This record gives sequence, C-alpha cells and structure tokens, in this order.
Amino acid sequence: MKPRVESIPIEMEFRKKGILLLALVGVLFSIILGRLMYMQVIKGEYYAGLSRNNRIRIMGIRAPRGRILDRNGIVLADNRPSYDLIAIPNDIPNIHYVTSKLSRLIGLDPKEAAKKIRKGKRRPYTPVYLARDITFENMARVESETYELPGISIDPSTERDYVYKDLACHVLGFVGEISKKELDAHRGEKKYAIGDLIGKSGIELECEDELRGKKGKKIFEVDAIGRRQKVLEESIPTPGKDVMLTIDKRLQVIASDALRDRTGAVVAIVPSTGEVLAMVSKPGFDTNMFLGPIAPEVWQKVVNDPMHPLENRALRGQYPPGSIFKIFVALAGLTDNVIDPSKEIFCPGYFDLGSKRFLCWKRQGHGDVNLKRAIIESCDVYFYHLGKDLGIDRIKAFANILGLGRPTGIELPNEVSGLIPSQGWKLRRFHRPWQKGETLITAIGQGYVLVTPLQIAKAMSAVVNGGFLYTPRILASDSPRLEKQLPVPRSYLDIIKGAMRGVVEDPHGTGRIVRDPMFSIGGKTGTAQVVRKIVSKRSDEKDIPYRYRDHAWFVGFSPVENPEILVVAVVEHGGHGGSIAGPVVKDVIKGYYFIKELDNEKISKGNK
Amino acid sequence: MKRYQKVINNIDRGLIVTVLLIILVGLLCLYSATRTVNPGIFTKQILWILLGSICMIIFFAMDYRILKNIYWPLYLITLILLVCVLVFGRDIAGARRWFTFGQVSFQPSELAKITLIIWIASYGSIKKGIQGYNIRDLAFPFLIISVPVILILLEPDLGTAGIITLIATGIFLVIGIQRSSLIAILSMVSVSLPAGWLFLKDYQRKRILAFLDPSQDPLGSSYCTIQSKIAIGSGRLLGKGFLHGTQTQLRFLPEHHTDFIFSVVAEEWGFIGASILVLLYLLLITKIIYIGIKAKDRFGALVCFGIAIYFILHVFINISMALGIMPVVGVPLPFISYGGSSLLVNMMCIGIILSISWRRFIF
Repeated sequence: MKPRVESIPIEMEFRKKGILLLALVGVLFSIILGRLMYMQVIKGEYYAGLSRNNRIRIMGIRAPRGRILDRNGIVLADNRPSYDLIAIPNDIPNIHYVTSKLSRLIGLDPKEAAKKIRKGKRRPYTPVYLARDITFENMARVESETYELPGISIDPSTERDYVYKDLACHVLGFVGEISKKELDAHRGEKKYAIGDLIGKSGIELECEDELRGKKGKKIFEVDAIGRRQKVLEESIPTPGKDVMLTIDKRLQVIASDALRDRTGAVVAIVPSTGEVLAMVSKPGFDTNMFLGPIAPEVWQKVVNDPMHPLENRALRGQYPPGSIFKIFVALAGLTDNVIDPSKEIFCPGYFDLGSKRFLCWKRQGHGDVNLKRAIIESCDVYFYHLGKDLGIDRIKAFANILGLGRPTGIELPNEVSGLIPSQGWKLRRFHRPWQKGETLITAIGQGYVLVTPLQIAKAMSAVVNGGFLYTPRILASDSPRLEKQLPVPRSYLDIIKGAMRGVVEDPHGTGRIVRDPMFSIGGKTGTAQVVRKIVSKRSDEKDIPYRYRDHAWFVGFSPVENPEILVVAVVEHGGHGGSIAGPVVKDVIKGYYFIKELDNEKISKGNK
Repeated sequence: MKRYQKVINNIDRGLIVTVLLIILVGLLCLYSATRTVNPGIFTKQILWILLGSICMIIFFAMDYRILKNIYWPLYLITLILLVCVLVFGRDIAGARRWFTFGQVSFQPSELAKITLIIWIASYGSIKKGIQGYNIRDLAFPFLIISVPVILILLEPDLGTAGIITLIATGIFLVIGIQRSSLIAILSMVSVSLPAGWLFLKDYQRKRILAFLDPSQDPLGSSYCTIQSKIAIGSGRLLGKGFLHGTQTQLRFLPEHHTDFIFSVVAEEWGFIGASILVLLYLLLITKIIYIGIKAKDRFGALVCFGIAIYFILHVFINISMALGIMPVVGVPLPFISYGGSSLLVNMMCIGIILSISWRRFIF
C-alpha cells in the first residue's frame, strides 16, 4: 500500500521506544533487587530465625454461623463463644505423653486423641481438632499446664446455641463436624476442610450455604515447642447470613405443649399462603446435645432408639390417613359426577362384596345417609359404595392432583413421598393383581395408602381455601408458591367445607370435642388402623409396630369462612382420632387466636 | 573459508553465553529441588534442553522473514491446537491444558505466546498508521487476539491468558497508539470492568472469585507465599549453600521445581547468587532490545520487542510472586522452571533473535 513505510530508517523509529522499554526494565529489576536486598540482607536474620525450626503455623478461624430466627425475629439458634482443643501434630514430640496427660486433666479419650494426631502427621502443620467446645474449667486446666503440653493449644471459637433446647429441634436440625463422605461430596468447591462444621439436618442442612459464612485465617509464629508467639497475618471471618423462618415461636410452644410427651406430629399452616406456623415432631431431642464432644454411646443410643427421635415425623412419618382420606374421595366423586350429594345411601353397618363383608365402624349402621351426613358421622359404608363406583384409578389420580404420593416441596431436606397405591404399583410390588376389596379399603384411607402430616396440611389447605394448592414453605424469604388450582367447582368445595363444619358442630359429628363457642371450626377425624390383615403380611422385622393401637388423626381449620389457620395432628397409637388428636388441634387453634389478640393489642398500644 | 569465518563472527555469542549460564543455574537448582523427591525430572529437563537447542538452531538457520509470510497459518495451527486441547487434552486437577504422550506432555498455550507475537509483529509491519493506530485499526487485532485468549480461559488457565493479553498490549504500545485512542481505550476499560461486575449475578461473581483464586486449598496460597519468603530471606547474603537449603530440602516450599524455583536459588545461593541471576536476565533482555533497535526491518524489530516484553513479564511476575509482592499466579521462570513446552518456546525465541541479529549483517 505504502512502499514508503518500509524504507523509513528502522533505527530512528524504534530507538526512542527501545530506550523507554529499557528504562521500564531498569525500574522493574530495581524493584526486584531492592526487595531481595531488603529481605535477604536487612531482614535476613529474622527470616533465618523463622526457617531454623520452620515456625510458621496457619490456622482457619471458624466463621460464626448465621442465626435462625422465627417470623417475629426471635432467635431460635444463636452462637455463643466456646473453646476448642487443638493439636499441631508436628509440634508434639511424644504423643503418648501428651494424650495421657490430657486424659488425666480433662478426661479426653487418649486412644482416640492419639489416633487423630497420628492421622494428622501427614499434614504436619495443619491443626487437628481434638475436642470442640470444652468447658471453661477444662480450658483453665489445659492453659495452666501448657508448658507440659507442647503442640496443644486452646482456640476461641463460636458454637451453636439452640436457645429453647428441644423446641422445633427437627425444623432447626443440628450441625456437626464434617464427615469424610461430606468432604468428598464437596471436593473441588474449596468450601470445607477437615474439622469444619456442617449442617447435618433440618434448616441447618437446607440453608447451609447461607448460614455458613466464610472462614478467616490466622498465620502466626510459634516458638520451638509450638507455643504461639506472634500473629503475622490475620483475616477476619465473614459471619453467615441469618435465616428467618415462617414459624411462630409462641405457636410452636403451644403446639409442642398440646402434644405433650406423646409420639406424633403437629403441623400448623396458613391455608391461603402455605406458610408453616408450627411444626412439631415428638419425641424430640435437645439439639445442644450434639454440640461439643459427643460420646459414641450417646450417639448410638439416639440413633438406635426405637422411637426414632431424630426423625421429623411431620414430613417423614408415613401413616394411613384413615377417614381424613374420605374428604378427598368425596371430592373426587363430586368432580367426576359419580355421586349426587343429596342422594341417600342406606348403611346397615356392613357392605358385602362377593363373599367378603366389609364393616362400618358403627356396627349397628347409620341408616340413610347423604354425602354430608356420611362425612359428619364418617360412615364407612357410604364410602365403600363411592369407592366401588370410582375405582382405584380415579381415586389415585385425584389424590395425586392434591399432591399426595410425592414430597410437598417444603424447604426441608429428606422429605418422603408417602404412597398412593394403584393397580400397577401392586403388581410391581407384590406380583399379584389388585383386588376390588382393596379399593374399598383405600376409599376409607386404610390399607396401602400412606401420607405424611405435612401432605395432609397441604392438600387440606387447598380444599378449604377455595382450591389453591400451595407448596408449604418455612423460609420467610420465599414468596407463596401456587402449584395449581384444583379442577373442582367452588360449589363442591363449599359442600365439603360445610360437612367438615358439621363434623365439629353437628350433635352427631365425630369431632364434637373440638367445638368451641367462640370460634367457628371445621375439621375431620381419622383413625388409622395400625397394620392388621393386609399390611401385616408384608412387614419385615423393622416395620412391626411396637404397639397395636390405632393412630389418631385430626385436621382442623378456622374460621370456616376464609380460614386463617389449619392444623393437622397425628398421635401415634393414640386410639380414636376425634377424642385424642382433636384436643391437640383445638389447643393450637385457640393458641393461634390468643397470639393474634396479643399482637393486635400490641399494635393498638403502639398506635397510642 | 573466509566466508564461513564471517558467519561465525557475526553470531551474537554473548547472547548464547548468557542463555547457557541461565540454563546452568536452572539445572543446578532443579537438581537440588528434585533429587530426593523425583530425580527423573532432572534427566527429563536435560532432554528438553537438548531438544530446545535443536529448535534454537533450526530457527537461527531459518530466515526469520519467512515467519512474516506464514503468520496466518501459524495463527490457525495455534487455534486448532487450543481447540484440540479442550477436547482431547488430559484433565489434570480440573483443567485441560496439556496433551500427554506417555511421559511427555505439551502445553499449546505456551506455543500461543510466540505465535501471537509473530502475528502482531507481521500485522504491525504491514499495516502502519503514520500517527500510530486509532481504535478502528485496533478492532481487528483485538478480535484476533481474543479468540485464543478465550480458548485459554476455558481451559481454564487465567495466568497464561493474562500474560498473553499483557504481551499483546505491550507490543501495540511499542507500535504506537494515537493518544486520543489510548485515552478512550483506557477509560473504556476502567469503566466497563466495574460496571460489568455490577451487572453480574451473585453466584456468577462467586464463581469468578473462586476462579481467580488459584489455590486448591483455601489456606494454601498464603502458605506458599510465606514459605517462599522465609526461604528467600533466610538465604541472607551468601546463601545456605548448594543442596543445603532447609526450606527446599525439607519440602516446606511447595511447587519448588516449577513456580517457586527462584526461592531455591535465593535460599541456597543467597543475595549474591540471586542478584547474579537477576542481572543475567537483565543482560539477556537488554541484548534483545538492542538487537530490536538495530534490526534491519520493521518485522524483525517488532518481533524482538515482543520477545523482550515476553521475557520481562515472565521474569518479573515470577520473581515478584516468590518475593511476595504479587499474588500467586502460575507463571514459569524462563529457562529455569521445569516444563518442556515453556523451555522449547523460550529456546525458539532465542533462535529467532539470533537469526534477526545475524541477518542484519547480510542485507
């Protein structure tokens, strides 16, 4: 293009730039030489000292976990200062001496400690946690003998504090030292190191990422026997984020008290949003028990307890729903136009199908009953008829629409699916065809059907709130998640709601015990037979129940028009649903109104 | 015979001696660092040096102006290799940077450094703005350079991608950029970086931060730096003596045969030894720049400046990292760090420089 260009004397053009580049090189290399001079000649003595016994130790500082709050900001899981006992393997010349001394001083298991230290030898300067959260007295004992304990130090740290002990323990969960398996699962994410704490269950596990925070670190110099002399560099840990729940601590206390020490679960939910206000599972555990050095015996005892105190029964307990299921069967019948709500069916106290006779719970029979009466008095024969007309496929399809047979999707880990049986399922599971009689049993919520209390809370909320199926949720930061609108006309839902009101208010209602002169309450009882005829045959060792009494269910909501609260209670082996689970639900509903009034008073006082 | 004598006389023997001295220092350190842990490395490095010398001779013998005619094929070959390594490369610690053939492995991103220098030098010698380049002139080379840089980022190898960007920027500054364009570019960069950061989603930022953090262990990188500083500082004026560096021999110092090899020099040979090595590098770079100034054509001069910038950046960044005045990034110390690809490319560069230096006497 421009031949002139190549002929310009190159030397002239680049001389200036070359010299500039040389000047830059001069500056850069002067920096290097200056720094070398400073480090090797001026500070040489200092570094030589550090290198003589390589005296640099580096250590992570645990970040305080985020707190867990209830919906009003009351702290449920807090942090408190604690002391950890730490060993630097390389600084311990005689492991046996040190561990036996520690065992005498504070009762540490010397074998376990020695094993940990020996294992840590591979990374000789990485601290090993010998014991988390030792008591103040033990800390003082170790500190006073520190000259006799080379390589051992006490590190201030923070520890979880579950303020109300076992309250909402299943919701909160607990933290523990990260296991080998968890460490492998998070490999490559650069998040965890040996000795770190990690959420093991409940919200602690679900919200681990928010709660964890970011570790800080401290680089310090030690003397010849590993005692810390001077901090060379320190970065402050970033605390984890707080997590706010939809749980109301006060209602949680009320629900927990209402269940007393019986085994079972209570769930209180806002039907129009899916917010869980209380979630109780019993028996529980004092979450603080899992902090600090947990003795293997204690752990084994908890894990092997036949009552399974660690299980959150609200979302992991699977029970036959009993008569509560009739509500869903009734809706299925109405929606598919299988029944006329006003048509009466005669209940003689039994129903014959082929050679088999299926009994109503009321042996003498209910006489002529229509749909409403059948729900109010929980007539089994009416639902045998309905079940037979519907067939198992339609029952299953409708139950699935209500979210039964799959996890509800709440923000808590390890939720189970429950079970809605079908012809195909039985063939796969037992290699035997479905029996007509099994449809009848399913229609009254017995047999193979299994649900969790939370699933019932979710499905029932949709029935009473006008047909909106919301995912239950427990994190205040989430917004309501509408899964779907039920394909059921509003008038049918109103019929069912009316009948459920009758369950509580009708003189013949099975849930009369829940009636309250102050509030309008609707509900349904359920009595789930524990394993007889059909189910007991498939039970293996583990499934055999420890008692043979029925499970008691009650679901209640209030007020009947525009319900603000819906409560599900199940009492394992409690006996009859209405009389045992009913009062639990009533206590919680009354508690809800009490709290509401309290809050209203506070607001009006505040306004003045 | 006389003609032959003249050929010999015109070779820049000083440059060759300088390089050989640096290589010798490197071999001694590598021996000290690896003899107990992995003695095979020392033998392999010697083989690489022999192979590198052959490369150097080939490039010296070849007329460097040929490179100017094949800069597009060179560029395309580089791109193909970079794509291939992403697809077929061996996965080591979550990164695909190497082709592996048995005991030997090769890193195409090292090769990309020199082929891009050649591309830019050719472009710069063909298209010339009288007053320097403006933004429009730079758009095309920017595109050309960003393709391999993005491929290298995908491996991922942030250190190499960064250094290539710096080399390219350096050569363009030497070629000349119009002042107004330079100001415009600088302000664009300084605005777009933080603005881009603001637009990122939280999890994207986290990913980038995790990506920028070169250490596997969350506590590892400052451990390396501190141990390296102790090694260097404790060498003091005269050093602890060959094979007597405690930091090195007791393996407190990680990566001591690759990224942190300068610490080995400084610990065992002291301030005297370390500054002699630094001065050898200074001599090498000065010579390259001088040859660039004296070069007979624009292309030769630009290649010299490009290679000089290449060495300046590698030496300065690597040593600063060992001295703890720069964050830890994986940049090798030329001729000394263990690694075949980098050594081959370094020797290739010297061959090209020798060729440029020698041929200025012929035409």
